[in-house]
Amino acid sequence: MRKTILIGGKAGQGIAMTSTLLGKIFANAGFYVFNYRDYPSLIRGGHNFNVLAISDSPVFSFEKDYDIIVALDQNTINKHKKYLKKQGFILGGKALKSQKLISLDLERILSAMRLPPIFGNNILIGYIAHYFGLPLADVLRVIRREFGEKADVVSKSIEFAYGIKLHHQEKVRKKRKKKYFFSGNEAIGLGAIAAGIDIYFAYPMTPATPVLHYLAKKQKEHNLLVVQPENEIAVINAALGASFAGAKTMVGTSGGGFCLMAEACSLQGMSEVPLVVYLAQRTGPSTGVPTYTTQGDLKFALNVGHGEFPRIVVAPGDAKEAFLRTIEAFYLSQKYRTLVIILGDKHLGESHFSFDEIEKPRVKSRDFLIKNPSPDYKSYKITKDGVSPRTVPGIGPTVRASGYEHDEEGITTEEEFKVSQMTEKRLRKIESIRKEIARLDPIKVYGRGENLIVSWGSTKGAIIDSLKKLKGFRFLQIIYLEPFPWLQVEREIKKAKRVFLVENNATGLLGKVIREQTGILIKRKILKYNGRPFYPSEIIKKIK
Amino acid sequence: MKNLNLQTKAQNTWCPGCFNFVILWAFQEAIRELIKERKLQKKNLVVVTGIGCHGKIYDYLDLNGFYTLHGRVIPTAVGIKLGNPELTVVGFGGDGDTFAEGIAHFLHACNTNPDITMLVHDNQVFALTTGQMTPTTEKEYKGPSSPEGKKTNPINPITLALAAGASFVARSSATHKQHLKRILKEAIVHKGFSFVDILQPCITFHNTAPYLSKRIYDLKKERHNPRSFDLAFQKALEWNYSLDQKSRIPIGIFYKKRRETFEEGFFQLKKPWYQVQRKVNYRKLFHH
Repeated sequence: MRKTILIGGKAGQGIAMTSTLLGKIFANAGFYVFNYRDYPSLIRGGHNFNVLAISDSPVFSFEKDYDIIVALDQNTINKHKKYLKKQGFILGGKALKSQKLISLDLERILSAMRLPPIFGNNILIGYIAHYFGLPLADVLRVIRREFGEKADVVSKSIEFAYGIKLHHQEKVRKKRKKKYFFSGNEAIGLGAIAAGIDIYFAYPMTPATPVLHYLAKKQKEHNLLVVQPENEIAVINAALGASFAGAKTMVGTSGGGFCLMAEACSLQGMSEVPLVVYLAQRTGPSTGVPTYTTQGDLKFALNVGHGEFPRIVVAPGDAKEAFLRTIEAFYLSQKYRTLVIILGDKHLGESHFSFDEIEKPRVKSRDFLIKNPSPDYKSYKITKDGVSPRTVPGIGPTVRASGYEHDEEGITTEEEFKVSQMTEKRLRKIESIRKEIARLDPIKVYGRGENLIVSWGSTKGAIIDSLKKLKGFRFLQIIYLEPFPWLQVEREIKKAKRVFLVENNATGLLGKVIREQTGILIKRKILKYNGRPFYPSEIIKKIK
Repeated sequence: MKNLNLQTKAQNTWCPGCFNFVILWAFQEAIRELIKERKLQKKNLVVVTGIGCHGKIYDYLDLNGFYTLHGRVIPTAVGIKLGNPELTVVGFGGDGDTFAEGIAHFLHACNTNPDITMLVHDNQVFALTTGQMTPTTEKEYKGPSSPEGKKTNPINPITLALAAGASFVARSSATHKQHLKRILKEAIVHKGFSFVDILQPCITFHNTAPYLSKRIYDLKKERHNPRSFDLAFQKALEWNYSLDQKSRIPIGIFYKKRRETFEEGFFQLKKPWYQVQRKVNYRKLFHH
């Protein structure tokens, strides 16, 4: 069973809310669900839509091929009806016009129930759940879980919808095991909480903003602090200050904000104060296409900040990876006193993914602080692995952090021997980190075949879904992009007969990185750069 | 206790006779006295410095310290305070550092009132980059980047701080070391954002010593009431940082008021974060 439902309307009509709620209802009934969100940068009006792909086998993407269109306005029908399947139908209010329309008299229902127009969405949700034969009690359980005290009035409208005479019914069989269902941005927030985040600093910027909202909402429950300073420069410098003082910190932003943070990333490199950055890419350059997706900032993340210093760049491919890799990001940043960039994008962050299980993370959350430092403690002690043991001010010995070149005690130096000695100390961390991430699956290979698709980040979903229809293809996902696992990447590419690079950008940035790191040039490139994610059918078509 | 050692091994590289030595002395004395008076613990004191001649003070103080970026002393200091509210955080910045590169942070800190102290070595010139004008440099100043003279009037950091809502606004001068020590002590003890603009002749590029010494007077001696915002503003307008011949230059505390600090607004800030322990239940986390 595979159903694709598009829900569309104007901004402010609760499109995303309706779609994710319906997604949660199906995930709760044991179905795999993928939810895609598409919205322009405006608050009221315009055209928003979500696409839900519901299946009894794992699904991580969608096709523009809809079984049902739920229309909250006529524009939705006009824009999307050409993608409606022959047997498909459109569900909406009475005022809409289409031959395929199954109309519900929402106005009459709502005025009888004395509910505002937004509750019409719940009637539509109820109708669809009923259409697929999901038990009402199960749906109401989800509503109670999601709405808490406010559940009653929502439940009432869903119950009412179950009383409406269906035009037809397509019963699907409920699955045994309910699925986890969450977005990439929720996963980043959850991962940070699981890693023991103390303070999240951020300035609002799409598409990283949902993490700011999510963590702000969770402050009381998890005793963490969310701060919104005056600009991104303040964000990252305050985060470094807080981290120096012993708080586990993360900042979140998108390309433009990250530009403003570049200098402080360099300060991180020199001062070795741990920091995690969540960089959610959006279509650029400049303001670009703010609410749409891209993988255009790979090289920027790999090179941000002046000077040479170690950094870690990790790119999760779906929401579960976002959760687990965020936990790793905190672990690595604390252990190696380094900058870790979690490189996501709008498609990863704002899409919802479903999973059977969430595995336990492979690393344990720790702060790696010495709680009883000796009086002769040195903030930048020269060590074999390049990692200077860390403590915090307030315990006893003098603790220093400096953006100026310094000696072991953190006192400024410009002496030639010390400059090279400290540079080498910092750079030694790269090999220590490389060893550590080798056991954290820096790459993953899916499927079997002599041919290879190479990609990274949020393209994973469409590629995994396309593999089912591509005979003889494996997929190499590169998750840790710095330190780059060049040996494993080289081995995989050399084994392959035909190699395709798939990226959601215009110039094939990963291809350039692979060439730099391994000398291998991948000539076959499938690139998409219109702000939209790949559909599996596009990849299949281009490969065949 | 008088002999509490705050010296480091670092060799001092300020110009011989630089007024930064006076600021260093006054700060060390202020710290020693505050520790003696049990108002401060050395291990809980953190200094944050920007980039410029003033920034070198990081090397000359045996204290916890963060030698941060040009212009970013304030956000770093605020972060440290949020990271561990038990710490006493003192920021040092230059006038270029604070009023050019970092002016946004300065105004917001005046408004949000984090419990940190911001000491500005205001020598009205970029000294470490060899004498260019800064926002507090007087009009017509001729420097290597302005051979025809600076075209604009200086800004007045005191009126700016007052207008932006700072809860402690003071001015002192490196030419008056006892006064400076006293003001530094009061600024550090004040709960909230304490701003001290320290007038500092740059003996190499902008020697205002003769000008300042003739015109400076102590607000305290004229019985200024620092609780009055109106009077504070009037006093702040007495000198506009241009080196005109008529003005008198008040030093001392212009304004002081206890109000809620930034950190006091957060219920979470009870103890240092590194002491907070959490246990995570993964299933519960996902509400699964």
